[in-house]
Amino acid sequence: MNAQLAGALSAEEAAIYAYGVIGVKLAVKAEVTEARAAELEHRERRDWLVSKIAEGNASTGPAPAGYELPFPVTDRAKALELAIRIEDGVAQSWRPVLGATRDADRTTALAAMTDAAVRACRWRRLAAVTPLTMAFPGQAT
Amino acid sequence: MVLTCAVRKSDTGHTRRRVLGAGLSLTVLGGCGLLDHYDDGPPPAPDPLQPLADEALALAAAYDRAAVSLPALAARITPLAEDHRAHAAELARVIGRTPVASASAAAAPSAPATDPAAALAGLRAAEQTAMKSAVTACATTTELRAGLVGSIAACRATHVEALR
Repeated sequence: MNAQLAGALSAEEAAIYAYGVIGVKLAVKAEVTEARAAELEHRERRDWLVSKIAEGNASTGPAPAGYELPFPVTDRAKALELAIRIEDGVAQSWRPVLGATRDADRTTALAAMTDAAVRACRWRRLAAVTPLTMAFPGQAT
Repeated sequence: MVLTCAVRKSDTGHTRRRVLGAGLSLTVLGGCGLLDHYDDGPPPAPDPLQPLADEALALAAAYDRAAVSLPALAARITPLAEDHRAHAAELARVIGRTPVASASAAAAPSAPATDPAAALAGLRAAEQTAMKSAVTACATTTELRAGLVGSIAACRATHVEALR
């Protein structure tokens, strides 16, 4: 199970970093609020993963000091594009956790994957990207 | 002499001899127990994911009906119907059966919608219910199926969001 948890942890840490960059390029209050709320949720998911991995007596290793973003975030449009990509990636990172967990842990993993998919849907709407949804969130495309 | 000749039984070209012979063969096979599973055996237990597949087809049909009644909504809701059809196809593949709606999934629709806001609210409520059933199914399904069922639950949650 630790490999799947480590994968999700990596994605959550990358999301926290990315929202720091995304927030700078957003000016509309609703979008800034959405980005802040998303960052907070990713921090909570990260903390849960760290504690789960510690329960398994495994080390999480230090988070990297920085991440290489997939493209330069130069304006609002790029910030929204990155937010969509980040949330899709987070959803993908949680899906393997579902098959590696049971009971309450699986419920938490599903909530994390679902929340990321719903946020991706919101960012698509703000960016006027259609379709808003995909048939299998979390599944690699 | 006459009795040894083939006697035409019907317009389909079957002869009395052939029909009698076929009947005898079936009796013999039945007596050997080879056909028992066609008449006496219990039907196979439905797969635990069958209700999820039925629900997907019912939701797709509900979107189709809304798109016909309210063409202005079609562009917005047709992608959601396609998501549900993709779920039904994938569930059928996993279950190992063809994606045919059961009686409950094919239930008679209500009157055509005329109010877009009411139609969207109805679809949203249906998606919320469907999302909850997928969440429950994900919690109880096998490790191998958990990813797929989880993705379906997450997709239904995004539909609730998309219908806001």
